[in-house]
Amino acid sequence: MTESEWRALMVAAQSGKGEAYRRLLTEVSLWLHRYYVRRLPAGMVDDAVQEVLLAVHEKRHTFDPAQEFGPWLGAIARYKWIDRLRAMKAAPTEELSDSLAIRDHGDAVQDARSLEMLLARLKPAQAEVIRLVKLQGMSLEEAAARSGQSVALVKVNIHRGIGRLAALVRDQADDA
Amino acid sequence: MTHDALIDRLSEGLKPVRRRRLSVDLLIVAVICAVELGLFFGMGAARPMPMLMPQPSFWWRLGSLGLIAAISAALTILSFNPVYSPRRASRWLLAIGAICLAVGFLINAGPDADKNLIARLDWPAGLQCAKKMILLSIPAVIGLAVLMRRGAPTDGRRTAWLAGLAAASWGAFVFVFACPFNDPLYIAVWYSVGCGIVTAVSRLILPRLTRW
Repeated sequence: MTESEWRALMVAAQSGKGEAYRRLLTEVSLWLHRYYVRRLPAGMVDDAVQEVLLAVHEKRHTFDPAQEFGPWLGAIARYKWIDRLRAMKAAPTEELSDSLAIRDHGDAVQDARSLEMLLARLKPAQAEVIRLVKLQGMSLEEAAARSGQSVALVKVNIHRGIGRLAALVRDQADDA
Repeated sequence: MTHDALIDRLSEGLKPVRRRRLSVDLLIVAVICAVELGLFFGMGAARPMPMLMPQPSFWWRLGSLGLIAAISAALTILSFNPVYSPRRASRWLLAIGAICLAVGFLINAGPDADKNLIARLDWPAGLQCAKKMILLSIPAVIGLAVLMRRGAPTDGRRTAWLAGLAAASWGAFVFVFACPFNDPLYIAVWYSVGCGIVTAVSRLILPRLTRW
């Protein structure tokens, strides 16, 4: 679907046309799925997609037909993504599920490369424990033994590292 | 709930929405400010104004605060659009604030410089000034918070900071018409205290109230 088709559907939706809105949301949900599958653990993708659909619904009056729909949707998707990253940072490390590991399929290669570029901008100690715990699925104790850091330091480095990742993503988004 | 079920629920009974318009938001804020200013003058609170008008510092305060209020209010309203990021503009705003402060010291380099610091700061009067500035900024804070809640800011913290700064500088702008003090040190300290409190409180509270 082209940008102008998306925009036309959104304008129709703002006028109360339910069928156009249904088509738009269906397309949007597919786009969002592709967007989040590269950026979030598999277990979080569906929730994130639905959260953005609800946000699009609540904030549809803020879309300006003079602007493009793609950047508007992208900004909302990014906002919710950063929210999720913050929530991951706030959640206790022990309770995060194993599904945080990157899925092993073709698209993941590209995703892993992007993630590596971000991790390379963290302090080595932070990047190492995030790789061990969040990507390879090790326990805190295993990561501590492997990295030579104490368990408490592993927790602190994961917490700070994820916070820094969120800030980097936000900065990149702002600079884009 | 599956995506399809959610989409069905959202599409059924869809109602038309009134689009958010930048000009309407600006107009709402302008009306709130105009009403407040009208009430301020109507209640006779600007009585010292004729005495203040010949002083360069009066025009400096009015110009600086008016400029900061106008720019920050415009940036705040722009930030309600999810696509707009106020990050770079906020830095420029800080630079403008610093320039305004420097200009104030240049045009009015301490008429009371011979007094000691405590006397120049005049604590009791300064606290009263800060309190009045805070009270005068409340209508603008409320107006911007309501608009922010209706909008879709994607940088909630920075937008809240900008909204607080806009409201604070507007409150201080209105207070200039009633403030008889001329010492740049007094103005820099107590106006910063008043504006700083409003800005900090807005930065802390507004993101929670306007989260979406």
